[in-house]
Amino acid sequence: MDGAHVLKTTEAFVPRTVSLPRRRLRAWRGGLQGSEFTWAVAFTVPYIALFLAFVAYPVAYGLWLGHKPSLYAELFADPIYQRTVVNTVLYVGIGVNLKMFGALLLSGFFMRRGWWVKGLLLIYVLPWAVPALPSFISIHWMLNGQWGLLNNLMWDVFGIDGPGWIETSRWLALGSVIVSHIWKWMPFWTVILLAGRMAVPQELYEAAEMDGATGFRRFVHVTFPLLANLYLICTLLSTIFTLGDFNSVYFVSGGGPALSTHVLATLGIRDAFDIARPDLGVAAVMSSLPLMIPLVILLMRKLRTTEVRL
Amino acid sequence: MDGPPVRRRPHYRLRRNLGEAAALALGVVILIWTLTPIYNMVMVAFESHGAVFTTDIWPKQPSFASFWIVVTQGYWYLDYFWHQFGNSLYIGVATVFLTLFIGSLASFAIGRMRLRFGWLLSNAALLTYVIPASFLAIPFYRIMHFYDLSNNLWSVIAAEVTFATPYAIFIFQQYAVSIPIELDEAARIDGASPMQVYFRIYLPLMAPALVAVGTYALLLAWNEYLYQFLLLSSKQSMTVPVALAQFLNSDEAPWNYMMATAIIYALPPVAIYYAFRRRMTAGLTMGGVKG
Amino acid sequence: MNRLSRRSVLRASLGLAAAGALARPFIANAEAKTASVWWTQGFVPEEDASFRNMVAEYEKASGNKIDYSLIPFGPLMQKIVSAVTTGDVPDVMSHDAGSQNVIPQNAYHDKLVDLTDVVETQKSQYMPTAYEGAQYYNSVTKKRGFYMAPYKLNATPFHIWSSLVEKAGYKLADAPQKWDAFWDFFKPMQKKLRDQGMRGVYSLGLQLTTVGPNDGNVLFHHFLMANGGSGIITKDGQPHLDDPQVKEAVIKTLTYLTTAYKDGYIPPGALSWNDADDNNAFHAKQFVIDLDGTISTEVALIHDKAQYDDIVTLGMPLDNAGKPMPEQILVEGAFVPKGAKNVEVAKDFLKYVIRPEVTDAYLKAGLGRWLPTMPSLVKKDPFWLDPKDPHVKAYTEEGLVNPTVAAFSVYNPGYAEANSQQIWGVAHADVIQHGMTPQAAAESALGKIKTILAKYPVVQS
Repeated sequence: MDGAHVLKTTEAFVPRTVSLPRRRLRAWRGGLQGSEFTWAVAFTVPYIALFLAFVAYPVAYGLWLGHKPSLYAELFADPIYQRTVVNTVLYVGIGVNLKMFGALLLSGFFMRRGWWVKGLLLIYVLPWAVPALPSFISIHWMLNGQWGLLNNLMWDVFGIDGPGWIETSRWLALGSVIVSHIWKWMPFWTVILLAGRMAVPQELYEAAEMDGATGFRRFVHVTFPLLANLYLICTLLSTIFTLGDFNSVYFVSGGGPALSTHVLATLGIRDAFDIARPDLGVAAVMSSLPLMIPLVILLMRKLRTTEVRL
Repeated sequence: MDGPPVRRRPHYRLRRNLGEAAALALGVVILIWTLTPIYNMVMVAFESHGAVFTTDIWPKQPSFASFWIVVTQGYWYLDYFWHQFGNSLYIGVATVFLTLFIGSLASFAIGRMRLRFGWLLSNAALLTYVIPASFLAIPFYRIMHFYDLSNNLWSVIAAEVTFATPYAIFIFQQYAVSIPIELDEAARIDGASPMQVYFRIYLPLMAPALVAVGTYALLLAWNEYLYQFLLLSSKQSMTVPVALAQFLNSDEAPWNYMMATAIIYALPPVAIYYAFRRRMTAGLTMGGVKG
Repeated sequence: MNRLSRRSVLRASLGLAAAGALARPFIANAEAKTASVWWTQGFVPEEDASFRNMVAEYEKASGNKIDYSLIPFGPLMQKIVSAVTTGDVPDVMSHDAGSQNVIPQNAYHDKLVDLTDVVETQKSQYMPTAYEGAQYYNSVTKKRGFYMAPYKLNATPFHIWSSLVEKAGYKLADAPQKWDAFWDFFKPMQKKLRDQGMRGVYSLGLQLTTVGPNDGNVLFHHFLMANGGSGIITKDGQPHLDDPQVKEAVIKTLTYLTTAYKDGYIPPGALSWNDADDNNAFHAKQFVIDLDGTISTEVALIHDKAQYDDIVTLGMPLDNAGKPMPEQILVEGAFVPKGAKNVEVAKDFLKYVIRPEVTDAYLKAGLGRWLPTMPSLVKKDPFWLDPKDPHVKAYTEEGLVNPTVAAFSVYNPGYAEANSQQIWGVAHADVIQHGMTPQAAAESALGKIKTILAKYPVVQS
């Protein structure tokens, strides 16, 4: 990070104690006029077209497919659906929080000096870079009760006959899916939080150290308050992504054993295609909206306030 | 050293060594955690045909045979492998360019030019994520028919760009805050048109964010399965993930070929990540810390 | 006021017009004498090669062009559902499980093109069960019609590793013939094999699965019929879910299967096996015997003579009352959805496909995994009853020579939806995972089926 940039970021923090004159000139003062307005509109036209063609229309069509109340009555009465809702809440709740917390801790770890730490970081990010399909299938096989790698290792090293991780028990399978999800996505968020930590200027750490705060207290009083906003935004974003996450559950447990680890995303696809009831499938996924919409609104408001402060 | 003696915490050296040891232990745990599924992939790829269900931890007779079969398209599920790989590449590159182009244009208009209804647009963009991708799958199938794009790579590109662009706009907005608006003003005073400001000032300074978002978009397209599977039906138009999923239906358990294919498929994104990682981390978080 | 000048607008519209003009010849030509076909990808490469040959021959003979896609089994079902839902359909579709999951419901809702003129060209050749298996009830015309052009059928034989039976110290010839006793014969082999070091081996590969499309249902139906429950759907399409004999058969079936699972004779993963998992487990010698449709299990090993000869293929034994069991076959073929653009070419292609010599060549090249629907063929062509290949011979006898009946979903389309909801698989899971008694699970399953069938009343006119 070069000196000018450090200065800029420090400026952003300093307003807590000192108020700097706010000099934000609007490059295009007093609103856009004339040809500039046309340019601005022209710049947004590609996205608006994309949005209308590929978001608005499909969403409208989907809503139309799933608008009959009888579908929801049918869904709510089905014990498989009820189990799926519980699974989704657990999957998202545990998965996102463990993942983000782990990312927070590991981002601190990766701040350490040393060539081996840097090398480890390179390897650590592999799960994100390797495509989802083969890695999840690999995990699926790894967890096979009879000939999977995990049980083979346990037998060879400890002499224990491992359980069928994804074959016998709903909770083991759900746990396996959550762990797989964390395995894949924690590196991504770790890197983001790590960059967030690196943006905290050294001077603050040194000032804190001179005041006698190190280690845990330094984290609580200096690092975390500055990272809190980023952490919250990342958690919200991650929750939204995870609610729609199809690949992990589909390829690791397949919704098994016996349809007990489906989440709303995969159940929707199963209802739509395997049972040939697309309307039911759409209804299943739509039923996650009451959870989704508040999250997105929260995220939007968070982003808005972040912008305004500057 | 001059000055007052530095006050050190008790047992400083011991704590430091313990700390290092703990860090090393954690490092080993991270290594094992990260590499085990990947090791499984590699191990299965090196198995000889028919030996996949063994209980060995490392194949008794490791062989490169499966990689050779994949590369020479010597197995019937793989007879279009390079063509499908090309399809994946085509989709990935097109997604990257379109996402960057559309996203940066929109973000420029909203963030720099302060378009009046700009906030509406960025919020609408986020709404894309309200509806999970798996929900939109069936409607997408229908609308692609309507737009006459059935079984066409562009239908997948459209889907990927739709899902990547809101995140792109978000990142661009955040990152652009660190670029002083005075630069734009100076250019405007010099008589530059918005187009020129966009190309000469905005884009070059946004480079780290562009790289970050571009990598993200590429990985998104590379990771995608559901849409590619639904929207592409023939061997010539399929992509590698869809071809890989075919293996799961096979009676012959050709898992070694499947994993060899997967490893070859995994090479481009891994290479790109490692090539661009510094720029990526810089671009992902500028501005996210503030507020 | 704004910069969008007339010139740029003019330029844009000229561009659009040019694009449209260039595209038009392509669209016009595409509709001349071409049919688009979605076909199931085979489980072995020879099936696909055989299909390609058949298409090439047809194109040469007729001058038409066939634009085909060979799509794997699982994904194809999902594509068919999407296509039928959105109306973007090809001209011909053929799925290996179409008669169970797709054709009955769509014929009911009048979404398929009537293929009587196609089927009638070979009427005299078809086996009666196959001829019946091509007819489905249409709620609009209120009668059964030909909505499928059948060209193949499959039966469900036993597949047994004779080497494992011997290793456990048993002789296959000693197996009793009554249904339950036959299965029980294999149970003790598990312990004997494990004592000899085969760590993860099981006796029975019974597919108690909730994953479709067919294995779980087919297994259940065989047990059901062995227990006397074949009256669950009668030929007039009427369900008899309250019949005490049917109920008892259901309970007996659930009890036997779930007890075998709970006693540890079945690999635990069977609850979630998909269509290929059971075959893979068989090849990995994870169990001794299973009951699975077609001889794909054997055919996949055809290049490994030792293994190929090791497997024993058996037809039906006796049911639990000691009487011979007819085999419930699945008749499969191709169908033409309404909304297809080239119905004439589609029908022409199908008339070609169902010609005896064409199906014979096509199915033979697929290594006999599917049986023809025409008895005359097995008499004429020595391939099918060749004593040198015990697998094909046993399979042909089971499916074409010995008595057969058509599947329940042929007569009642609602039952097809019940099949695709895997109601029997869910019943197994209810007993095994959620502690329901077989009686309660049977009640629940029959209740669900009743609800589904109520949506598809079959009223003969």
